[in-house]
Amino acid sequence: MAFAVNDKKRVGEKQLGVLFNEGKVRRRREWRGIKDTLYDYGRWLYLLSILARVIIKPRNVKAMFRYRWFANYLAVPHMMDKFTMGLRDEPLRIVHTAMDFVVKDVATCIDNSIKGDRRTGNNVKYSDKCVLWDENAMTAAMMGFPTLNCILREVPTMFSANLLNQHSGLHYLDVAQQFGIPGDVCPMPEAELGVSIDDDFPVLGKCAVQVNTTCDGSLMGNGLIAKRLEREYGIPTFQLVAPMRHTEEDVQKYAANDIKKAIAFIEEQTGEKWDWTHYFECAKRVNQTTRNRVAWLEINSTPYPQFIGATFSLYNDTNYMGNCGRFPIFAEIDKKIMKYVTHGYKNKTMMAPEYRHRCIVWGVQPQYIIDMLNWMVHCWGVVPLTDMLSMVISEEIAEEDTPENREQAYYDMAWLTMNMIMRNHTHGGYKVLVDELWEYCEKMNADMVMMWEHMSCKALTGMHGQFEEQARERGINLVWVCHDLADPRVFPRQAIRDQFNQYMRTVMREEPLDPTIEVLPDNNAW
Amino acid sequence: MSKFKKLPLMMLGGGASFFAVTFIIYFFNLDMKFLSSCVEPILLWNYDRIPRKQYI
Repeated sequence: MAFAVNDKKRVGEKQLGVLFNEGKVRRRREWRGIKDTLYDYGRWLYLLSILARVIIKPRNVKAMFRYRWFANYLAVPHMMDKFTMGLRDEPLRIVHTAMDFVVKDVATCIDNSIKGDRRTGNNVKYSDKCVLWDENAMTAAMMGFPTLNCILREVPTMFSANLLNQHSGLHYLDVAQQFGIPGDVCPMPEAELGVSIDDDFPVLGKCAVQVNTTCDGSLMGNGLIAKRLEREYGIPTFQLVAPMRHTEEDVQKYAANDIKKAIAFIEEQTGEKWDWTHYFECAKRVNQTTRNRVAWLEINSTPYPQFIGATFSLYNDTNYMGNCGRFPIFAEIDKKIMKYVTHGYKNKTMMAPEYRHRCIVWGVQPQYIIDMLNWMVHCWGVVPLTDMLSMVISEEIAEEDTPENREQAYYDMAWLTMNMIMRNHTHGGYKVLVDELWEYCEKMNADMVMMWEHMSCKALTGMHGQFEEQARERGINLVWVCHDLADPRVFPRQAIRDQFNQYMRTVMREEPLDPTIEVLPDNNAW
Repeated sequence: MSKFKKLPLMMLGGGASFFAVTFIIYFFNLDMKFLSSCVEPILLWNYDRIPRKQYI
């Protein structure tokens, strides 16, 4: 039944259910054997030091008592416990290296947002060098502005907050719906809008750029957020309109022109000039990031995948979309991760006693909020090789500064923007959503697909039957798992896991590897 | 023993105590238990008291 069996004896805790109770947090931390427990303890201290460096500043203390979303950051160590559950050796180190850096990146974003915020830090000089950037968008058009700070203020207020605490969006969803916003749109942009209505966003920046992201909720939310930014706070907002049919040749020129207009808008508002030297330095790093991601995926297509799950996805989101080559430090982290991935592959390191199925995770995914992918490995031996959001570009962009490449660069930035995570598969037609899934299954030797079905998202609704029919033709096991992203009141964690449990027991006729985590009392947990 | 000679012993003792205390906090998840039961409720109570300019 298994395609790979772990011949190394698992050190430390064998049944992970012992760590859970009905509480908000876990009963205790995991015993991973002396070496790995001490490693995890060392990283816990490091994580506390990152948080201490943020909270030691008086302006951040003031912000902690002003902004509701700030309270979610109490749960940072708890989030790390979720992502590292059951891990030993190289996979434990990979997750810590990637996630600790994501934490540091978000902590920097919070610190910067508060520094310029009119209510707390109120550093006007700093704020005048800031451009507010839509969280759900590539930051490619900022690659040529080294002296400006690109602030993604929805990241700490909504997106990351939801990784930490599953209930973080509920107050904002209630506020939005109280003001007549429909409850059947994606809870993510709706909660972002709730933050704006509740006057809970830090207010800073000389101007803002929003992108027509991928859904009705996002378009609605952005319009209302922009209205408040412009009319109340006097922050002019540019709407970058990236085409949805991104694979079509005839939209490319329009998309490139829109990028030119966004750059001209930023130049006009901030008085800064586009720097081609810096742009091409960033482009080199974007290409390096692409090469690394492709190399990790190649290792994941072997019997010994190493860098997988929600961490793989989150790290790629941060590096590909939020960083987009702008900060050299990501290259160092990539190198460290690559070292562990290579060692793990050579040592044939596995995360569970056996791997039974190789799975591609597709659809609009909530795996950041619930630690589902890690749970699938430990409970059922199902390895999530990659996910829809991580399958972004694999081609390289122009990186040498020549007159031709300067024109090409606009097309590259537009291409990156159109191929941001989510957009590149949920929009663009049948080929990118359905056909490419089967291509990835073949490339990565997957025998299973887990389809996330987001109740409030309409992106995949029309394709339900096509997926089922084609999976049957190809002999691929397809399991649908419903959820409602940031609203656990619609689908609590166990209701989500139960759909997978049921499929594994009734269709696959299998028994769990660790029965103590098949049902977990964590519906009220952070 | 002079103060200078005692220094390494004191540092070792201090380090061991630091390790013992922090490891107990770490292993029994006391940091998260404290923050979730004592700090979070105070912050949430405070947020509810702040007047906000809510509009659409």
